[in-house]
Order: sequence, then structure tokens, then C-alpha cells
Amino acid sequence: MDINTLLADAKARFSHNSAKHYLREKYSSKLILADQGGLWKADKETISLLNSLDTEKVVLMDTFDNPVEVDRVELLSKLSTIYSETMKAWLKEAQELEGKR
Amino acid sequence: MTRGAILFAFNSLKYDYYAMAEHTAKRINHFLNMPVTLVTDEESLASDSGYKFDKVITVKADKDNIRDGMPWINKGRYQAYELSPYDETLLLDVDYVVNSDRLLKCFDLYEDFCCHDNTAFYMHPKVSQELLSSYSYKTLWATAVVFKKTERAKQIFECLKMVQENYAHYANIHQFISNVYRNDYALTLALRIVNGHTVLPGDIIPWNLLHVGKNTSVYANTDDEFNTEYTVLFDNWQKGKIRKEYITIKDTDFHVMNKDIYVELIKHG
Repeated sequence: MDINTLLADAKARFSHNSAKHYLREKYSSKLILADQGGLWKADKETISLLNSLDTEKVVLMDTFDNPVEVDRVELLSKLSTIYSETMKAWLKEAQELEGKR
Repeated sequence: MTRGAILFAFNSLKYDYYAMAEHTAKRINHFLNMPVTLVTDEESLASDSGYKFDKVITVKADKDNIRDGMPWINKGRYQAYELSPYDETLLLDVDYVVNSDRLLKCFDLYEDFCCHDNTAFYMHPKVSQELLSSYSYKTLWATAVVFKKTERAKQIFECLKMVQENYAHYANIHQFISNVYRNDYALTLALRIVNGHTVLPGDIIPWNLLHVGKNTSVYANTDDEFNTEYTVLFDNWQKGKIRKEYITIKDTDFHVMNKDIYVELIKHG
């Protein structure tokens, strides 16, 4: 039995709430990066902080709560790329799922 | 540095764990590009369907653990350290569906050992984290573990053995039921003991282990051997009636808790 027949026979409804939860689980893990001896999350706080500083080297607390000295521009570039790519993919899949009933 | 996965599979009266291991191994080869070593017993080898593991190690199965009235052979996981032929090893349950390359990230971020401490359930977004008991630790999960051959990782597995051998004692202290041995509970205790009764953030995989749990089934959307899209169907009980709900997931790993559902799944994708 194919999936569409199975869902039709079961009169199953698409759960937008659960889909939102699944997408959050899936894509938040993709925002994580190990780089320059620390573990980072490509979130808006970290990217904003890196953007607002102006020195070549900065010391940041990584997600393990360890202070790590990093090359600011290099880390900012990597985190910005990951953030952008991940959020685009998240949006695309969310839009695909939005249309389901 | 060699890198590979190790699976433990011992057939029970009800389930063909060897077949599950073959299915998981193929997906590890495909998605993670890693060789797979299997630890099994002579009886289970009879289920061999021709898939070539990197290495097959036969051991004597410890049938001392009883669940639902029949042996559930999950003891002896501590042997992973000694038996793994790899410098870096992914130790995985055979009912974990590898559906992406996400586990590879563990090798970049860990020091010498990591496992999950948080879980999430598809279709049950608000389920709280499991504790050993109401007054004890949050459970760590032995479903997916990554380790290097270091002195500390060796100590963790030696401690796992010690906890297994003294499981009733630890169950008594932490007030959980000792009748059925659980690797998750033993790992929780072993890792904490080695770390001085705490959990080090670096030992934790920084994303949730995703379960397909209670009242939930999962179906492959295609018959492809390396299908990546699944439908998760949920029986939502409301006022004595079932309302069927579903979502579609893709390129995401998950752990199937119900073996009957997993057996059906591997038949089709």
C-alpha cells in the first residue's frame, strides 16, 4: 500500500504543530559548528556579537562554557554561512509542509 | 586514524536482530561512509543474508536479562571498547535509522566520548526527559555513542561493566526497577562515576535524540533501499476516540522504540 492510500484510508490529518517541532529539531542541530577549538551555534546572538566587535582576535564562551580565543572574521564568516544556508533550507521545507492537509 | 561503527545484535525468540543490524549497517555504509563491525553470537549468525560486515565478532550471549517473559540480550555492551577494531567508533543500537550524515558531526566536536542526554519524540513535543527515578539523574542514552580509544573512554566502559555486574545495587540506590537491565541507565551511572558524579558538557551530543515512540508508527515513503523520506503516523486519543495525525520527515535520523514497527519498516525501506 502506498503512503497516500494509507493516509487516505486512515483519514489522517497533517499535524502542523508536530511538523513545526520536527523542523526545529532537525535544523537547530545543523546550526552547530566545531571550529577553532570550540563548539559554536550559528544563532543570531553569536553572529551579532561577532559583528559588533572590531578586533582581529576575540575571546568567546563556547557552548560548553569554555572561553576560547578565536579569529573573529573567520568564525563570523563560517557562522553566517551556516546560518544563512540552514535558515533557507528550513524555510523551504516549512513551506513544503505548509501546503499539506 | 581509523573510524568505523560497531553494532551488537543477538536474536531473541521474537526478533531477528541480525537482520536489523544488516539494515542499519547498509545505511551506515551509505550515509556515513563507514565500515561496520558486528558483535553477535553463533546462533544469530544463522540469519546471515549475505551482507558483508567489515568484521564479525562472535561472543557468548548473556541471556540473563528477561523482558516480556523472554531473554532480551542487551548486556555486554561494555565490550565495545575492547572489541572495536577502530581508533574512533560509533556504537549504535540496531533500531536507530541512519537517515543523514548528521552523526559524522560528533567526530568533529567530541573529545573522546559522547552520547545523548536529551530526547524528543515525534508527535509528542511536550514529553519530559526521562529520569532514572523521581529523585535521581536524568537518563543518558546509549542508543548512539561515539568514543575514541583513550584511557578515559576505557574507564567509562570498564565502569559500565562494573555497573552491569552490580545493577541491583545501583537500582536500589537510585530507586529504579532492576528486573530489566537497561544500557541507558548503566551508561548514565558509569559516565557520572567516571566524571566525579557529574556530567561534562563535552560528553553530550548537542542535539536531541529523536524517538518514534508510543502510539506512533513510521512508514518509508518509497521502496528504495536508501529511502530518506518517511511518514510518521500518530494515534491521537481524544475522549475515547482516535484521531490519526501524520507528518512527513526527511534526511533526519530517528530511533524506533517499538521493535514490531521497526521490523515492518526494514521490510519496506
